[in-house]
Formats: sequence, C-alpha cells, structure tokens
Amino acid sequence: MDENKRRRRGFPPSLYFILPATLTVGIIVAFPLFYAFFMSLFNWPLVGAQRTFIGLGNYLSMFEDNEFINSVLRQVGVVVIAVPIELIIGFFVAILFDRKFPGSKILRSLVLLPAFVLPVLSGLTWRLMLAPQYGPLTYLMQIMGFPNQAWLANPQLAYATVIIQDVWRMWPFMFAFIYGGLMNVPKELIEAAKIDGSGFWNTILKILLPVLEPTIAIAVMFRIVDILRIFPEVYVMTGGGPGDATMLFSLYIQEQAFSFFNIGYASAMSMLLLAVSIVIAIFLAKNVFEANES
Amino acid sequence: MRKFLLLVVILAVATFGIAFGTTIHVLVWDDVMSQAVQTLIPQFEQTTGINVVFERVPSGNPILTKEAVGVTPTQSSYDLIALDEPFVPKFASAGLILNYNDWPEGNVYKKIDLNSGVILPTVFDAAKFAGNIWGMPINGNLYVWMTNELMLDNPTYQKEFKAQYGYDLQVPQNFTQLLDMAKFFHDKGLYGFAPFTLRAEGSTCEAVWMFSSFGTGIIGLENGKYVVTLNKEDAIKAMQYYSQLLQYSPPGANSMGHPERIAAFSSGKVFTMFQWPALIPNSENPNDSMVAGKIAFSVPPAGPAATASVRGCWVLAIPSASQNKAAAAEFAYWWASKDVQQKLASMGMASVREDVLMNPDLIAKYPWYKAMAESMKYAVSRPRFVDYAELSSIVQKYWLAGVTGTMKPEDAVNGMIQEINNLLKTYNG
Repeated sequence: MDENKRRRRGFPPSLYFILPATLTVGIIVAFPLFYAFFMSLFNWPLVGAQRTFIGLGNYLSMFEDNEFINSVLRQVGVVVIAVPIELIIGFFVAILFDRKFPGSKILRSLVLLPAFVLPVLSGLTWRLMLAPQYGPLTYLMQIMGFPNQAWLANPQLAYATVIIQDVWRMWPFMFAFIYGGLMNVPKELIEAAKIDGSGFWNTILKILLPVLEPTIAIAVMFRIVDILRIFPEVYVMTGGGPGDATMLFSLYIQEQAFSFFNIGYASAMSMLLLAVSIVIAIFLAKNVFEANES
Repeated sequence: MRKFLLLVVILAVATFGIAFGTTIHVLVWDDVMSQAVQTLIPQFEQTTGINVVFERVPSGNPILTKEAVGVTPTQSSYDLIALDEPFVPKFASAGLILNYNDWPEGNVYKKIDLNSGVILPTVFDAAKFAGNIWGMPINGNLYVWMTNELMLDNPTYQKEFKAQYGYDLQVPQNFTQLLDMAKFFHDKGLYGFAPFTLRAEGSTCEAVWMFSSFGTGIIGLENGKYVVTLNKEDAIKAMQYYSQLLQYSPPGANSMGHPERIAAFSSGKVFTMFQWPALIPNSENPNDSMVAGKIAFSVPPAGPAATASVRGCWVLAIPSASQNKAAAAEFAYWWASKDVQQKLASMGMASVREDVLMNPDLIAKYPWYKAMAESMKYAVSRPRFVDYAELSSIVQKYWLAGVTGTMKPEDAVNGMIQEINNLLKTYNG
C-alpha cells in the first residue's frame, strides 16, 4: 500500500507507532478503571455472587455514612498538615544544599534515603521506635523528661505520629524536586539581586519562589496525589486506631472492600478518590502552568 | 471386550474416588502449626498419591481476602481452605462451602464421626451455623490462662499477700482475686496483667471474654431475627473492670498486641494473663523467655456470672466449586487423624482430638494441654453472624474507647448498642 492510498483512507502511519502504547495503557489503566466504575454501580458482595444493580446508590450512600465523611476529613487533615511541612523543609534544605559546603555531596545523597524506605517498613519502624516499653524514641523522650507515653494508643498523638512519619519519609521528595529546580535557576539572577541589595527573604519571595513555582506545583501535585493513597504505613502503625483516630479514607476503602466485603461500595469510594486526584491535578496544572505560560 | 475393560477402569477410578496424580490446592493460615503440617505432607502424598500445593498466608485480612476472591459459587482456586471460625456463617450462607455431611468418605483416612466424641463437641461448634456443620475444626485454639510461678511461689510475696488480703497467693480463681493480685504486684513495681488493646480481632475476643464473664451476650436470635442482647449494666461493669486491670498492666497497656504481651510476660514482670495455645511456645522457649518452665496453666478465672474461655479455631472447609472434593476431604481426614495429630502434638501443637490432648506423656511435656482440655468446657464463641466483620469492628471500636478512657463506659456501651442496632436493621431488612 503506497503512501497516497494510506492517506486517502485517513489512516496515518503515526497510528502504527502509538498503537502499542495505546493498547498497553488501555489494558493496564483504562480497563481496571472502567471495571471499578462498573462495580461501583452494584451492590456487590465480595463473598457470594448475588450482585444487584443500584445505579448511583453507592455514591449516594457515601454522604449518609458518617464513617466515610470522618475518614475523608482525617485524610484532608493529613494532606493539609503534612504536605506544607514537607514543602517548607524540602525548600529550605534545597536552598542549604545549593550553597556548597564540605561533605554536601554525601549529605545530599543521605538526606534522600527516607524517601526510598518502603512505606510498610517505615510504618513498622516507627511503631517499634514508639513502643512504650522498648522503643528507642520513647526511651530518648523519657531521658529528656517526658512521661512514658503510649503514642499510638492516644488518638491525638497517633494521628500526629502518622503525620510525623509521613513528613520524615517524604520531605526528601520535595527536596529532590526543588533542588533540581534550583540547579536550573541562573546564578546571575541571584547575584544581580544581591548586588541590588536584596536580602535572604526578599530573594526567596521575589525571585526564587516565582521562578520555582512550576517546579513546586508539580512536586505538590505529585505529593497530594501520593498522600491521598497513603495506606501501608498507617495500616501497620495503627490499623486505623485507636478507635477511628487514624482511619483515613484509604484505610476505610480497604476495610469496606476486604473486611466487610462491600466491593461495590469500596469501588465507588475509589472512584471518588480518583476524581479528587484528577481535579487537584487539573486545578494545579491550569492555575500554575497556564499562568506561567501567559 | 475393550469397552468392558474401559468400563472397569472407569469404575475403579470412580470407586476409589481419587486418582493418583490429583493435585489439590490448600489455603491455610501461617503459624507454627501450619508450618509443622507442611513438613508432614510428603508422607500424605506418598500414601495417597495426591499432590498438595500448600499455601500459607498470614491470618486476618490477608487470608480472608484470598478466600473471598478465590472462592466463588461457580469456581474455586482452592480445594480446601482454612476459615477463621467467625467467618463460617458468611461463607456458608453464600453457599460457598460444602456441608460436612456431604463430604465424601475417606479412601485411606477415615471420615471423623461427629458423634464419636473424638473431637470435643465444643470445638465442633466452631464449624456450626444454622443447624449444620460446615467443615472440620483443625486446631483446638482457645484462651488458656498463664500465671508466672516465679512470682507465685516467692515466699516473701506469699507472706505479704496473705497479710494484706487475708487469703493465699495462688493462681487467680475469680475476678476478685485477679484484681487483688494485679494490684498487689503493681504496688511491688511489677505488673498484674497484660491486656490486648490493639484495634484488631484480639480486642473483640477480650470484649467477648469480659461480657461473657459478666453474664451478657452481644447479639442473639429472636423469632428468626437478630437482636442486640448486650445488657447495658453488665457491659458497663465489664468495661470498668477491664479498665482497672489496665491500670495494673505494663506501660503502653492501651496499645498492646501479642508481641508486646509475649515480651512482657516472658520478661518475668507480668503475673498473669490469657494466651492462645499456638503462642504459648514463645513463652516456654528458654532462649526467649525468663519464665520458661515456670508457668502455671489453668482455665481463665471465673467472672461474676461465668467462667469463659474464648474460642478461635480454624475450620477446614471444602469450597462447593472445588473440582477435587474427594482428595480435599482425604487431606482433611489425614490432618485430623490420630497419627498426624499425635505427631503435631509432640511438636507442641495443640490438638483438636481429646484422645491426643489428654495423652499423659504429652501432658507431662506440654502442661498447657490439660488446661486446654479443661478450658474447652467453658468455651464461648464470638457472635455467629453473617456480617460478623462489621459487628466485630463496632465492638472493637467502642470496647477500646470504653476501657481506655477515650469514652465513658456508659457512652461507649450506648454507642455500641446503637451502631449494632443500625447494622442489624440493615441485615434484618
């Protein structure tokens, strides 16, 4: 078949090249998504096979389910508290490493380590470190004069610990992004600002932040999408307890799916989580990238 | 003639039920017992010609998820599954598992006659639901009471305790004694008790133990419908009592799971607590425990209303959709056979068979076997309910809130009743 014939048929050759990728994405991503949406339209018990079509029933049930609403609020709390802290630490550590000092290369690699720790391992380690009788962190705090505290048994402290664990593990992620962005900021720009008498904070606010805005936006977007899926570390640290203190949205989905076997309801909640992630991504992309382009 | 020979071969295979070369897939929980069983499987394979793919998965959600996904009414990835006993109603009511009466007879190993008394009736109850038996309980797992003999036999403690409370220091026989002794040792800088307070199934067991000891159930059947039977007054007393025990427990009593409990007891600082038989070897291992060989085993102390020992058996069940029911049943009969149970018992694994559990040689070696057999007389089960997981989650939430002081016991009991009522409303329609 020659080129002209192919054109006439409206069958561009580029299609051959994108077809494998399209098919792969279709199978790996799109099919599970559609299937999850399909399941979300049913009252679908995982044990047994009597599923019944209920349309948007599962979606409507969510808003009558106090456990669901509370789990969403807890998850939002984790996002709103943890991500800014990670951003601030990552930002300032990036600025620190932007200035060369002895041992900075080794330290730069070392600070990245927590981000490579498996979430489940991180959760287990924190749980053991905070064990009331044998935990090294508990011991250190006792030496410093704090009372022996069962951190994971107190609802407020357990919630705080989940956030602290996430900040510890993921601030290097923010650091890596921002440091990468900083490397691309022309040094002349900073030096010119200094010559013009701009102080440290002024340089950050007026020069670095605007220049790094797209980088920060991408880092924040990735972090938010990632933290919305936070699961294994919390599961092994607290299992959602004490009480419901750390029963985050993702844990609640798991509980509904694999403890209560309500796979239809869990799918509906997963679809909501996906929708929220997409909305956040679109919002950030629209506001930051388009603003920068204009 | 050829046709006749073919018919004979087919009949022979059908008569014997299982063909050499059959492979069965068995899904079980992962602990020392299932690991020990796995070491014996080659013997079964050699005797029967049945190949066994034996999959061990951590108990709790991991195994339950595999069972929920892998066993459907029309097809099953497994030929034999081990169900945690509270989930028997869920799988039975969905028609996913075979009634024990319909299990094929064994070819090499004999099918266990339920009326023979070989397996204690209280253990077989673990497999019962709606008047039928849905499998075979395979481990005699229930609360056994452990008391530290090093503390118990200490002459100074004995003297001081008698002077303070007016009776001898002994293995606690009832809740009053348990509290007295817990307080006594706490005042000595030791600990009286080690609770289970993680948000996990263990907390439901503790709640069931306490509620039963104080004389109340959680739910029951009335005119074919489930109703809440939790008596407020008894439930509040149970929570208050457990809260008191927590005061005399090690630091971090509000977040203790099995590893923490075992560590605390094995360090020799805890006077008394319950333990599941499968976990007792941890405290009887001299390499890991300072109290190895110095533990008194007994039935749990009597509550104001009753003595209760919570049961937690694994039940072997055959999926209705299994293609190898005869071979699966053969494997279950082999596992429950006296020979295998004796081998397992001699490795420290608690048996479901009374004739093995009460073997004097084994009792001398593993003293908790006798306490187990005694405790079985007081076995209580967690609620037998199709939506058990939701029920258990509610019980855990409010029980822990009530005993750890996050909520007042009165509010916790009211909350528990209200949420269970909501659940039952949905279930009863």
